[in-house]
Amino acid sequence: MKTNMECARYLEAIHELADGVLGPIRRAELQLHLDACDACRALADDLVRLRSLTTSLDRPSPPDRVWLQIAGRLRQEGRVTAPVTATGRAGRQAALFAIAAGLVVAVGASLVLLGPGFRASRQPGPLAGAPSQGNAATSDAVQSVETEFRLAEQHYQNAITKLEQAAKSEEGAFDAQTAAMLQKNLQVIDQAIAESRAALRTEPQSAPARDSLFDALKRKVVMLQDTIAVMNEMRKGDSAGAAQLIEGINKS
Amino acid sequence: MTTSKVTVHPSAVSVAVPPGRQADLALVERCRAGELTAFEELYRAHSGRLYSVACRMLGNTADAEDLLQEIFLAAHRKLDSFRGDSALGTWLYRLATNQCLDYLRSRAARSNQLTGTLDDEPGLADPSSRALGERAVTRMDLERAVAQLPEGCRAAFVLHDVEGLEHREVAEVLGIAEGTSKSQVHKARLRLRTLLGR
Repeated sequence: MKTNMECARYLEAIHELADGVLGPIRRAELQLHLDACDACRALADDLVRLRSLTTSLDRPSPPDRVWLQIAGRLRQEGRVTAPVTATGRAGRQAALFAIAAGLVVAVGASLVLLGPGFRASRQPGPLAGAPSQGNAATSDAVQSVETEFRLAEQHYQNAITKLEQAAKSEEGAFDAQTAAMLQKNLQVIDQAIAESRAALRTEPQSAPARDSLFDALKRKVVMLQDTIAVMNEMRKGDSAGAAQLIEGINKS
Repeated sequence: MTTSKVTVHPSAVSVAVPPGRQADLALVERCRAGELTAFEELYRAHSGRLYSVACRMLGNTADAEDLLQEIFLAAHRKLDSFRGDSALGTWLYRLATNQCLDYLRSRAARSNQLTGTLDDEPGLADPSSRALGERAVTRMDLERAVAQLPEGCRAAFVLHDVEGLEHREVAEVLGIAEGTSKSQVHKARLRLRTLLGR
């Protein structure tokens, strides 16, 4: 029977075996041990399987809008230069109207997802699943969660206020029809925020209602960021960039 | 190894860089000059890898998307500090990993979470270390288990086992010794085995 101390000697070799970097001499020595030790053999099999599974993991791609938002912020901060292409006013307005229409589709999809019943938990992507480690069993923890919730809500609200100011300062970039449509989109999200807050007033500790509120707040932040990014793209005459942004919004 | 002298920045002294780094330095120089297309080129070349790291470090795509923006905005601000001592990809990995770790620590502090330690990592004799062969483990199971790893060994595991960096490179990115990188990756694997064997 093998001792645990003896097994420990082979632990690094087992990892190297799983990595495929174990040399032939040490491999032969390890094999003798594995033939006699069920625990180490099981460990080696598991690590080889784990390594194989790990290398098969997908590499997710960031949505296109991330780049557009980065580019928009760099331009806003005056940190980059980009050639500005002049375009006709009529063509620009037609493109903006199409963009606004695209945003309507995105908002409609958001509402379907939010719904009146509110989801049980927030699942932002396929990689969700990190466990919540908060301790809700004590009143201190409940207080802490409450404070955290208020801080996060304030954080979103501050971001929204700043983005609204930025968007307002640029609102001349849109014609009246487009501006009205964008405004309508934001009103729809505001309605979702109001419904979530109403649900929270009824059930202040409801996790689904909180998740729903954060979803709605986040969607408003994203919508405002995207609106500003579209303004930036249109200002530099890049209709293709704006269209790309809409595609990203519709995918999300 | 062949090296050549390249002046990387008006404020920088001439430094010897491997030939492979010259393209990085040329691209960085264009970014520093404010060329948006150059920065987009840099983004297209590296965003996939950094987004992948951020997704696995943070455990969800929504936060990873937000952080990816911050990573590249920070990269643009810090381009002056890139001297070509390491590859641009390594420099960006370091920046991204630090941002992820800062974010996780901040999130843990805000929600009063206790970050796990590996002092009690399972050993061979741990009865909970069951063989994975007894159950079908999916990639989704693995993603969830990775999200439960303590942040230090999660970073080393993601960079080495998922992204395929060498331990030497992981050590450079995380600012740790090469032996520590090995140790963290090994501990992460044993922890994953326990999590997935339950």
